[in-house]
Amino acid sequence: MWKYEKKLQYPVNIRNKDLKLAKYIITQYGGPAGELAAAWQYLDQRYTMPDDRGKALLTDIGTEELAHVEIISAMLFQLMEGASVEELKQAGLGEHYAQFGRDLYPADAFGNPFTMTHIKLAGDPIANIESNMGAEQRARATYEHLMDLTNDPDVLAPLAFLREREIVHYQRFKELRDYYLEKKM
Amino acid sequence: MNTYNQNYYSNMYMEDMNNMNNITNLYNMSNMNDMNNVKNMTKGVNNNNNFNKCNYVQEVKPTELYNSYEGFIRGNMYPDLYNQYKVSKPFDVEPMNEQAQLLTYVDAYSFGAHDINLYLDTHPDDKAMIDLYNQYRMESENAIKQYEDKFGPLFVSSEATLTYPWSWNNSPWPWENR
Repeated sequence: MWKYEKKLQYPVNIRNKDLKLAKYIITQYGGPAGELAAAWQYLDQRYTMPDDRGKALLTDIGTEELAHVEIISAMLFQLMEGASVEELKQAGLGEHYAQFGRDLYPADAFGNPFTMTHIKLAGDPIANIESNMGAEQRARATYEHLMDLTNDPDVLAPLAFLREREIVHYQRFKELRDYYLEKKM
Repeated sequence: MNTYNQNYYSNMYMEDMNNMNNITNLYNMSNMNDMNNVKNMTKGVNNNNNFNKCNYVQEVKPTELYNSYEGFIRGNMYPDLYNQYKVSKPFDVEPMNEQAQLLTYVDAYSFGAHDINLYLDTHPDDKAMIDLYNQYRMESENAIKQYEDKFGPLFVSSEATLTYPWSWNNSPWPWENR
């Protein structure tokens, strides 16, 4: 089971609303390389890992990805906080407002709703871990693109933190894959 | 502006951190709280943007770690794995009030423990790192207690819920701007 910690893994305090940026960053909530997809991909894979290392690592990284969903959600909430309906319309979020009001909704940067087809499973530990390594690399690249799209330090700080976590997770998945290859698991 | 006060941070946990130094010495850090050492330690760290250059191989154990705060602001406890993009140096956390400051201690120690937790999942036989994990876990528990005594529960299971009226539902919530 999971326990809630009443804090973010990394603080988010964004002073300036930026609706255009929110529309881009939403892809790390519900997009193909987003945190929601990563969390579910790892948590679904953990049941069939061949040993305790894999079960532990997928549980722990999958859990951390849920904390990243919360960081991205906090960023979206604060970037859109206090926006008027007119401002939302001008930023291309009129459709979002029509359907969801001011609620968050997991979608990609084009507005396509989150879909479980983002998650990659193959019923094979090597294939699964390698898709996780790919997921971490794609997320790292997406964070770099998002960092290219802003100069606001309040936004860059959590994006840089999240990008760095992809690098660490990639390393751990790589170690697990190499270990399984060596042990022929 | 209200830059994060490293001295305050250091003094507060000086005693505990000194204990921790016994363990970090194993990783060539003579004093966890000494910013100069952090700078020296990070010399030669690969800071370019080429992701593929920052892999270390499984057999090589990390020779050094950042302290928990330096690791936390980077999102990475391992100098040989760290690289950055776009920004020239990591952002310091700038707590705007005592509550945010106490929460930063929780954040930093919990992060240190968590990043070592992931390492141990794939290196279960590294005794020094198990000790370091437990040091950070204890530091994190101390920091949580200190925060909760003043600002209420971070966990609904914590002793800080022994209040009337019920304090779990108090603001701020994590996503709220401080």
